[in-house]
Amino acid sequence: MEDATRTFGKGSCPPGPVPEGLIRVYSMRFCPFAHRTRLVLRAKGIRHEVININLRNKPEWYYTKHPSGQIPVLENSKCQLIYESVIACEYLDDAYPGRKLYPYDPYERARQKMLLELFYKILGYQNTVFFGGDCISMIDYLFWPWFERLDVYGIADCLNHTPALRLWTAAMKQDPTVCALLIDRSIFLGFLNLYFQNNPDAFDYGLTC
Amino acid sequence: MSGGSARSLAKGSAPPGPVPQGLIRVYSMRFCPFAQRTLLVLKAKGIGHEIVNINLKNKPEWFFTKNPFGLVPVLENSQGQLIYESAITCEYLDEAYPGKKLLPDDPYEKACQKMVFELFSKVPPLVTSFIRRQNNEDGSGLKEELRKEFSKLEEVLTNKKTTFFGGNSLSMIDYLIWPWFERLEVLELNECVDHTPKLKLWMAAMREDPAVSSLLIEAKAFRGFLDLYLQNSPEACDYGL
Repeated sequence: MEDATRTFGKGSCPPGPVPEGLIRVYSMRFCPFAHRTRLVLRAKGIRHEVININLRNKPEWYYTKHPSGQIPVLENSKCQLIYESVIACEYLDDAYPGRKLYPYDPYERARQKMLLELFYKILGYQNTVFFGGDCISMIDYLFWPWFERLDVYGIADCLNHTPALRLWTAAMKQDPTVCALLIDRSIFLGFLNLYFQNNPDAFDYGLTC
Repeated sequence: MSGGSARSLAKGSAPPGPVPQGLIRVYSMRFCPFAQRTLLVLKAKGIGHEIVNINLKNKPEWFFTKNPFGLVPVLENSQGQLIYESAITCEYLDEAYPGKKLLPDDPYEKACQKMVFELFSKVPPLVTSFIRRQNNEDGSGLKEELRKEFSKLEEVLTNKKTTFFGGNSLSMIDYLIWPWFERLEVLELNECVDHTPKLKLWMAAMREDPAVSSLLIEAKAFRGFLDLYLQNSPEACDYGL
């Protein structure tokens, strides 16, 4: 994996200029926003290099790449810098040939962008602990199964970005109902493993009787 | 029904019929800065359109079938396709219609316009907070925050050495941020641009643009609207008609 490199932290030397023919992404292995950009780089087969940044101990030089030291940031060999994950992804789609990830049709493009807005409304716009207010309610139970599964995959989020969601997940796990039905992580992973092999025993995985 | 100065449609109103071929419809409100973005782009690109104003304090039930969030602006075309979120409507119009492109073709320049848009993003909620502040608050804290945001924009103009945010001619990013700058004077927030001379010059240059000047809202009308809107009056959206 090109991104399995140690992070650059405070006191580190700034990396040199980006070689011709490559684009650089400043990233962090567990950050979902940077993950978006790495997905697009891979999907489009764009030659790139990854520099991981220590987000709790940022190099001083990194603030010359982004005013508040956020990731992801793209840097090309012309020293152009592009940031905000969605902007970076669209830039890559526009600037590089090959498979287009956004549709050509203007309406279909608009539809994708409207869906993304919906996603943000779910992720970030709540200002109460639960989606319906200060107590758990229907909407929380309706969302929970998907987020529980994401949690099971053990994705350690870039916690700065989605503190509300992290709080919500923690609060949900304290709910007696959610607690009582929590799927055991290793059983779920065992199920998935068999399921992806199309093994009919998947569904009974973990049962002892 | 086709004009920007038509009475708004409210609860109990009949939904408008299908959009005639060759036109695009925008659901709008005469004083909404977000809808103004879309109107500016429609004007700037010379796109044939009809306007349906919505009473935002007494929304028609059918309006939620146009946008589940119940907000303006919304575009509807003759194929029945619906597009909402103001920035998305503007980009859609630029892509779907011929004529002068408001967004640059160059991927990096286009990304730069979007990064400036992100830089601007704290301004609308700050202005809303200022408008909605209680009578006993003097708003000086909010004004200071606005000054900070405006300094960031001043820095962009300083670095680019151009009149407009996208270069030496007006483009998409200028239209997207304009409606809030238009409202500074009537909201008595003009002092917030005192320390940002390039931004002041930009504002003056914007007023010369035909699309901008044709959609300028008269100060008294805006004030009248705002007073009623803050009281949640269903008459607010039709003030002055």
